[in-house]
Amino acid sequence: MIAKNRLKKAGLGLLAAAALVAGAYGAQAQDKEIKIGVIYDYTGPLAAGGSKLQALGAKIMIDYFNSQGGVEGYKINAIYADAQSKPDVAINEAVRLIEQENVDMLLGFYSSAQCVPVSAKVDSLKKFMWITTCISPAVLKDRNLQYVFRPQPHGGLFGLLSPEFLAHYSQEKLGIAPKDLKVAIIHEDGAYGSGVAGGNEEGAKKQGFKVVLKEGYSATAPDLSSLVTKLKRARPDVILHTGYNPDITLFLRQSRELGLRFKALIGHGAGYGVPDKLFEAFDKDANHIFNVDPVSIWLVKPDLLKAGLGDITKMVGERYRKEEPDTKEFSAHVGMAASNAYVFFSDVLPRAIKDHGGIDADALRQAALATDIPVGGTLMGYGVKFNPPEHAMAGQNDLASPVVVQYIDNKAHIVWPRELQSLDPVLPLPSSSPYAK
Amino acid sequence: MEQIFDIYLLEALINGLLFGGVLALLSLGLNLIFGVIDVVWICYAEIVMFGMYAIYWLHAVYGIPIVPAALLAIALTGAMGFLVHYLVISPILGSPPINQLLATGGLLFFLQSFATLLWGIEFRNLGLRLPVLQWGELYFSYARLLAFGIAVIGMIAIYLFLTRTYIGTAIRAISQDREIMTLMGVDSRRVYLVTSVVGGSLAGLAACLLVLQYDVHPFVGLSFGPITFVICVLGGLGNMIGGFIAAFILSEIISIGGFYAELEWGYVLAFAVFIVVMFIRPEGILSKKS
Repeated sequence: MIAKNRLKKAGLGLLAAAALVAGAYGAQAQDKEIKIGVIYDYTGPLAAGGSKLQALGAKIMIDYFNSQGGVEGYKINAIYADAQSKPDVAINEAVRLIEQENVDMLLGFYSSAQCVPVSAKVDSLKKFMWITTCISPAVLKDRNLQYVFRPQPHGGLFGLLSPEFLAHYSQEKLGIAPKDLKVAIIHEDGAYGSGVAGGNEEGAKKQGFKVVLKEGYSATAPDLSSLVTKLKRARPDVILHTGYNPDITLFLRQSRELGLRFKALIGHGAGYGVPDKLFEAFDKDANHIFNVDPVSIWLVKPDLLKAGLGDITKMVGERYRKEEPDTKEFSAHVGMAASNAYVFFSDVLPRAIKDHGGIDADALRQAALATDIPVGGTLMGYGVKFNPPEHAMAGQNDLASPVVVQYIDNKAHIVWPRELQSLDPVLPLPSSSPYAK
Repeated sequence: MEQIFDIYLLEALINGLLFGGVLALLSLGLNLIFGVIDVVWICYAEIVMFGMYAIYWLHAVYGIPIVPAALLAIALTGAMGFLVHYLVISPILGSPPINQLLATGGLLFFLQSFATLLWGIEFRNLGLRLPVLQWGELYFSYARLLAFGIAVIGMIAIYLFLTRTYIGTAIRAISQDREIMTLMGVDSRRVYLVTSVVGGSLAGLAACLLVLQYDVHPFVGLSFGPITFVICVLGGLGNMIGGFIAAFILSEIISIGGFYAELEWGYVLAFAVFIVVMFIRPEGILSKKS
């Protein structure tokens, strides 16, 4: 009897112990989190230039994964920080998040001028950095960074794509042989503008265009009329422009006022990626402007993508509309950050946890290096495979590429590459445009 | 012919002249305030920014015609001038200049942040596209011609106000010797307040013209604040005619420099000239003070 009672007690004790262990394990599983520092510009000139929209895209994706119970049992604890459109603030915030908030990694970054110094700092601290946006080649080129990854196409590709597009249509649409086509390259003089302009120049040279002017300017310059006058004197057929927002509107306004005429204007992301603002300022005068950017996720046909991604695109659009109800045309910026964040949370992070032992920088790095997403596997359509450490641009997605869109009545239409084309490009500018040559 | 007379050089010269009008208008109010109260409003461009927002809201959102909207905006910035003096400057009038500078610098960040809080970081614009005047190959922006004309009229009006009115005379007297005038029974506090209101209103006037050419956002002051301050120093802080001339000197250097070399060189040259002048005449080109 005593033995029976003892057995009973032992059994109960074992059960209680098992329950305690299970409870503790359960609590531990619930407590698991990945702490991510998310840095964008919520204030300052870059905020309205696209950074705040990028931040919204990243947040939508973080909230989405958290609403699905996190990633592999890890809740995402995002700490949002404002870089205030200043590189020094971006560095300080990155260091604060790493050293004081003890984040596991950083995600975000809009401005290349911030990315260049921050990436070096973060890499030296051996922390993982996932760049959703800033595109300058200078961020990664010849720097041999170990923990910095960028799924986004880099600015050199932006710069090369517009000459490739022009070379294809120069004779057919403009009646000018590529070797006689006169192009002007103008850009804001930060890392972003200079990087894209470098690609423009290389592409123009490759296609045999005549570069009649190449010039940088400060994005906060209060006057661009001298630049416009020089463009009038150089008489380019096509202007390749890279800028943020206040400088783009100032340039277009002063170009109109000073009678600058051209056959086409091709922008390269940032301010040109926010068509609502262009049409608000210039109404129909903004028609037929081209823009080189990663494709807007809402322009990608869902049947070209992996099953289920179309629903994610729809979800991002619904949440975007909820946050910004006045939006007329979805900005590519939101989709860009959402797509790049999605790659991390749906592919890299689960692999780090399952195959590389957790969420420390080395596990995340190993997981990122093993990324191999085929074309059609992301919301933006392109695949993801990062250049290996010995590569000149280590950490850059080798499969990423932008597209050329043309704006007509505040709607973006893909005009290049031809496989994705939804509109035969309108070239040259029709006579209804005040800029038409 | 084109080698002898470059039409584009002429255009660059005219661009410089018209840009000078914008800068001259901006420097007018700042100089007036410094000349009389002896305090530099580092936050002056932010008051201009509030004026631009006022016109945007009144005209583009509430549909008030542009002229009454502009007048209301001028009244608003005049009231801001009053408040800035009454709440911030007045309590620290006797403090060392560095404290006054820090206070108005703090106000600059406050106004930027307050505007961000109220209206967000969106770039806004009136969507107005004024006609363009064409003469042969030359084009003139009406918005800039207007700014130039109003800067000249503003300068003359301020001159007449200071020389032909009783309060204007009092302002000049105070600016020459604030202690003696107080001893002679002049109410300096009233003169300071009137000057601040006039200075604030001039910021509103500048806002009316800037809003025709630039987007409005909380950080628009970053583009104009530093150069306005440099113009005032170059002209001789407190000297309105000096500031007026300095605005055109700098704008022409920026324009012609930017025309012959890269745009950035125009600014490099302008600031190099500023540094050289500061070495030769630290008090500015037309300073009333030594």
